[in-house]
Amino acid sequence: MANITKKVSWSSRTDESGAAGEGTPLLNGSEQPRLSRQSGGGSIFQIGRLSTVDLEEEITSDEDSLRGRPKEIPHNEKLLSLKYESLDYDNIENQLFLEEERRMSHMGFRCLEISRWVVCGLIGFLTGLIACFIDIVVEQLAGIKYQVVKENIERFTEFGGLSISLILWAVLNSTFVMVGAIIVAFFEPIAAGSGIPQIKCYLNGVKIPRVVRLKTLVVKVCGVICSVVGGLAVGKEGPMIHSGAVVAAGVSQGRSTSLKRDFKIFEYFRRDTEKRDFVSAGAAAGVSAAFGAPVGGVLFSLEEGASFWNQMLTWRIFFASMISTFTLNFFLSIYHKNPGDLSNPGLINFGRFESESMAYNLYEIPLFIAMGALGGLLGALFNFLNYWLTIFRIRYIHRPCLQVMEAMLVAAVTATVSFTMIYFSNDCQPLGPEHTEEYPLQLFCADGEYNSMATAFFNTPERSVRSLFHNPAGTYNPLTLGLFTLTYFFLACWTYGLAVSAGVFIPSLLIGAAWGRLCGILLASITANGSIWADPGKYALIGAGAQLGGIVRMTLSLTVILVEATGNVTYGLPIMLVLMTAKIVGDYFEEGLYDIHIKLQSVPFLHWEAPATSHWLTAREVMSSPVTCLNRIEKVGTIVDILSNTSTNHNGFPVVVQITGSDEPAKLCGLILRSQLIVLLKHKVFVELARSRLTQRKLQLKDFRDAYPRFPPIQSIHVSQDERECMMDLTEFMNATPYTVPQDTSLPRVFKLFRALGLRHLVVVDDENRVIGLVTRKDLARYHLGKHGLEELQLAQT
Amino acid sequence: MFLHQNVAFFALLFMSAYIFVSGDVVNLTASDLIDKSGLVRTSSSAAAAVVNSPVLKPAPDLLFSLNLLSNFPEDLEISEYCNELLHIFGQRYVTYVNCLVPAARPVKVCQNCFSSFESLNDTYENISSNDVGPGNVSCRDSLLRSDRLMLVFLLFNNLKDIWTKSNCDSCIIKVPHFNLTSDTLYFLATLNRTLSCFEKYQQGNRTELCTNCKTAYKGLNDLYSGMEKNQTLCIDIEDAMNMTRRLWSKNFNCSSPREETVAVIAVSSFMLFLPIIFYLSSFLHSEQKKRKLIHPKRAKSYTSLMNIQDKMS
Repeated sequence: MANITKKVSWSSRTDESGAAGEGTPLLNGSEQPRLSRQSGGGSIFQIGRLSTVDLEEEITSDEDSLRGRPKEIPHNEKLLSLKYESLDYDNIENQLFLEEERRMSHMGFRCLEISRWVVCGLIGFLTGLIACFIDIVVEQLAGIKYQVVKENIERFTEFGGLSISLILWAVLNSTFVMVGAIIVAFFEPIAAGSGIPQIKCYLNGVKIPRVVRLKTLVVKVCGVICSVVGGLAVGKEGPMIHSGAVVAAGVSQGRSTSLKRDFKIFEYFRRDTEKRDFVSAGAAAGVSAAFGAPVGGVLFSLEEGASFWNQMLTWRIFFASMISTFTLNFFLSIYHKNPGDLSNPGLINFGRFESESMAYNLYEIPLFIAMGALGGLLGALFNFLNYWLTIFRIRYIHRPCLQVMEAMLVAAVTATVSFTMIYFSNDCQPLGPEHTEEYPLQLFCADGEYNSMATAFFNTPERSVRSLFHNPAGTYNPLTLGLFTLTYFFLACWTYGLAVSAGVFIPSLLIGAAWGRLCGILLASITANGSIWADPGKYALIGAGAQLGGIVRMTLSLTVILVEATGNVTYGLPIMLVLMTAKIVGDYFEEGLYDIHIKLQSVPFLHWEAPATSHWLTAREVMSSPVTCLNRIEKVGTIVDILSNTSTNHNGFPVVVQITGSDEPAKLCGLILRSQLIVLLKHKVFVELARSRLTQRKLQLKDFRDAYPRFPPIQSIHVSQDERECMMDLTEFMNATPYTVPQDTSLPRVFKLFRALGLRHLVVVDDENRVIGLVTRKDLARYHLGKHGLEELQLAQT
Repeated sequence: MFLHQNVAFFALLFMSAYIFVSGDVVNLTASDLIDKSGLVRTSSSAAAAVVNSPVLKPAPDLLFSLNLLSNFPEDLEISEYCNELLHIFGQRYVTYVNCLVPAARPVKVCQNCFSSFESLNDTYENISSNDVGPGNVSCRDSLLRSDRLMLVFLLFNNLKDIWTKSNCDSCIIKVPHFNLTSDTLYFLATLNRTLSCFEKYQQGNRTELCTNCKTAYKGLNDLYSGMEKNQTLCIDIEDAMNMTRRLWSKNFNCSSPREETVAVIAVSSFMLFLPIIFYLSSFLHSEQKKRKLIHPKRAKSYTSLMNIQDKMS
């Protein structure tokens, strides 16, 4: 602590020196960075940083940078990437906006409300359709693949040459995965993984580049089909959530920028605030299509993006979820030649837990809790291994072709391991009367029996989960389950983070169901009359919940999703207890998988609250300073220079007024965004031009909306030498009432403002309303509670 | 094996089983039934008898005395015709049950008992039909639904369940007259051939049996798989096939042996080796991705820095 106070005093000193250096106007166009770097003021700034890193080291790093060599370090989790920007969740209340709002009649608002419902309905419908498409294609392709391999194995079992079947299986898997990995690695890397971390970031207010584009959706859908058919240890549920979000972001805008089609509808929704609401509806619709859990979907959105929420929005999101589930049901019922049957929801169907033996008793609760703890432990181990693997991947396997190769190798090894397991398994079970096994492999079993290891491995993961839940006691022997758990654990851990789109829900459920079932079998065998109550299916469910909870650490929404997917409300209590225990135990060791991946991608993510020990920090230490400000009437040349300065990619500029003829520093009068400036430059809204051409059309809010969300880069805007001398009046366009805080505001307070209002810029002013700093998301996100107290993340170029 | 001693032996078996059944465990139900039908014959108040007999069975003396007392007025009595039907139903019921029990293991409930089931079914249909018999009475109401127990319905339903569960309908052809389907007969013939092959080589070397009977067994297996696909299986066929398979795999041990362990291990260890090479080589040869730290932090990054720079210049 002593160390920190010392630093604080430094930082306040540097502030003064910084302020002292502000004698010159804040802005002048000239850039001579090399000269300025030598300034003593600069180095004092650098010393004044708050960091647990050793000071000496920092100074050397500064010296490095003084010589123009920025310090390079291997990628690690304690970085914030510059490429992530904030979304503007706060409405830009400039004069144009207020005018438009005032012009809108009561009827206009009502129409907007109705169109919100229409959009939500569309989101649900399209998400359901996509889920249905994925499901059917996966089923068909996987069916063909398993049929081919099965026939091959059958032929070679008799005549010898099973190693050829093994190679065939491995090659088939690798081929599918190769296709999936190529489209992800080369065309749209953001579509890799489950997409849940990305959507979480989006709802948190971080703009992840390209995350809600149409191209991402296409790659995601094809990628997930390839990876599931390719036999990887993955599920198709996580990507559904991402797909739903993309659908939502697309539909709500009434146009597609990628396809260059503008339907001229829903123009009012073309801004981050409205879009975010729809994206949360889309994520909910995705969850509900994936698990047949409409309420779970709503709660998922609530849990992940809940800082901006209201009752009507919840109700709309619920509507989207319901529509999505039942669209899926309806089309699947047609596919299953049972049209009109709406009672078979969800991509993953856990089946019904309704039989007598599925009841549970009070004395089983401690057992469930113990299983929850085990799930937490295993989940933490999974996350720990995956964390190191991901770091290795980011550092060494960053070239797309290497990523594709890695994915293919994983696919081949998955097939090999599965085959070896099946080959050496002696666990034969008689074929059931109703043939729950889709592709029974006989191999060396007696005729009329099948290899029980093959039901677990030689199947899509969803089916394996279902057979673990529902096959009658005695279907698997403990050794099979133990080996399966072990191998699948490592396979799933290895697979997550590859450059393929794939989710981690199903593998987690599968691992958990396997060891849960194992627990059930062991319990039944150690208690004399155990077989009466220890139904293995029930324990498989609890184990699945525990494992999933231990890995992803979701709480409320996961409980509801599992309860809805089993269709049995009475399991609410055990599942809740299990997830609670799993989270508590897991959090003790390691963070949740999604949080780890968010961190590893250096995303400036704002958690629910400021770090616990950050009360002694004030806005003065947190803010960026000094700030690049603009005058209310600013020269075009200055603006263009500021915007095109590649090393300062600022997005928000406080607008100040200088009282002419006085020496007083400029006072804050508004805030303007880069995107707005670009639109203004594009339309050449210059004072001189307005005077010369009186008839010129007044710039409207619509012009800003048309440019949203892909504002052109400044380089694409041509400004002639003459125009550089013109002036721009920002009064009409700036947000005249930006949020400000005094410089003594504590960090938690600033944090709360940011989190609750979804701010992007927060101006720090002194008591005379002079701009002294600007707080952005990255300034807040860099503080985090590490193992040794409060730590500070470094900014890095990625 | 028992499977090839077929039809000739059958009648004998049936007879002995009949005796066996009526004298043993199933005795209770069977004799109960006979008892009841006896009562029906002796007493004119059959309905009362059926209702009362379970309750009063422990005391037969009392039963008779009570029976005499419990005559109902004429209009509530069941008609002669229905009584007759009930009687026939009872007889056929007994016949069918007597047929079923000995056919339990090995399962031959369809082959052996389809005719008795058919006659039972006929009777029941007569009872439950809407047709009005002589005397202008429908037996459906008086026999099937005049009490809570609905014994006749219950009894028939139990047997009907057995019939449905054993899936006998797929092995029985109804026109022109009741018989096993040709598929079933063909399967039974093939089965017999296979079993006789087994018997022939049973004494000698097992490997000899495996090679010599393989074609017969395979043929049977394929036939079975075909029928499985067409859904023309009944329990008799399933059970016979199960037993044969068990014989083949467990008793004679003719399943495919696990022979290529070495090849499989070689291929899989090669596959498992690939990722190790991959990761090692990318660790050694791939350039580690470095992140450029953006200048200092303190005051953020370059906002502060650049502005200072600007000012200094």
